[in-house]
Amino acid sequence: MNNTNRALNRILLLIIGLLFLGLGAVGIAIMAWPTATDTWKTAGAGAESWLDQAFASTQIAGGQATWLGIAAVAAIVVVIVLLILALTSVAGRRSKTVLRSSGAQNPLGRVTVTESFVSDAVKKSLADRDEILTAHVTANDIRRRPVLHVAVTPRQNTDPRVLVDHVDRLLDNLATLTGRDTDAYISLHTGLRARLAHDQRRLS
Amino acid sequence: MSTPALRRVVRRETHSPRTVAVFVAVILLVLALAYIGLEITLSLASQPALLLGPAAGWAWLVGLPTAQPAGLVIAGSVVPALIGLVFVWQAVAPGRLPKHVLDAGDRAVVVDNGVIASALAQHLTEETGIARENITVGVGHRSVDVTVRPGAGIPLERSDVQAAAEAELATYRLARPVRTRVRIETPTEKEDEL
Repeated sequence: MNNTNRALNRILLLIIGLLFLGLGAVGIAIMAWPTATDTWKTAGAGAESWLDQAFASTQIAGGQATWLGIAAVAAIVVVIVLLILALTSVAGRRSKTVLRSSGAQNPLGRVTVTESFVSDAVKKSLADRDEILTAHVTANDIRRRPVLHVAVTPRQNTDPRVLVDHVDRLLDNLATLTGRDTDAYISLHTGLRARLAHDQRRLS
Repeated sequence: MSTPALRRVVRRETHSPRTVAVFVAVILLVLALAYIGLEITLSLASQPALLLGPAAGWAWLVGLPTAQPAGLVIAGSVVPALIGLVFVWQAVAPGRLPKHVLDAGDRAVVVDNGVIASALAQHLTEETGIARENITVGVGHRSVDVTVRPGAGIPLERSDVQAAAEAELATYRLARPVRTRVRIETPTEKEDEL
């Protein structure tokens, strides 16, 4: 999971969508609806004379350039920069965290469990199960709480309940071992890898 | 799935982030703005326009209803309107991904629909003895469709398959209840004649 700002995504989409929709609607209206045609023409002429005046009054001495034109270009540049900034913030980075499970301070010191230990432990335990093709374990920071994510791609035709119960037990054991029950979420995936691999062989 | 953090994870895992649509929309808008900005800059610097200078462009826009053939302008307007409609739809629609949430005590479990479908098909193969390739299972948000092709002369009760499928789905403990629909496809008469 990453921390993509999904609300911003939706808002941007809505604004840009409405913009395009409005553009198209105006185009259709001025062709198909006489009243809109007239309004378009009078408004267009009015705006044209206003623009001419504005350009004339903001003209920079001795040249063709006008302050209005420069302001328009500047405004466009600002909007483009804002859009690109929004885009880079939309493409969220993964919110990785260092999982630190510190058991109680004991005479020997403090026990710290890092993400890689948890990841290795869970992956090793899952490795001997034939129906699991790949397993990834990561820890993410969500609302300032570490959340463990176990992503498993099983072979096709694997019973999801059996697998989930197995991983669930595994996480229970890990919690007992490390003395801390981290929030965990398990996801089972399918995909090309699962489709290309052999179905689970049931020899027993 | 008790903590707010896990609820947030499940919500995000089961819904589309719309990143691709946003990229397309923003890039389209940036390209259009960049072009307008470029034309204005060129005219400010008294250089020849790339396609149409700002003054000529404005005049073309004002004269649009009379100067250009109506069909062409309407066709040209329908395209951005449709693109806009798609973006608005993408912004408003929930964008649920093909995944199901499974009950698992205080942990959250999200499973791709494909995993459930293939597991159910495998189970039905074991229950009915019909070859795996003759059972097709489709899993949606609210319904599960099972299609069985038992082949000629093999008796198969629809209700039996339905019961087996429902019993198996119940063991998965999906968070959202689904309706099971079973279809038995008998070989058509045409195939019999062949």
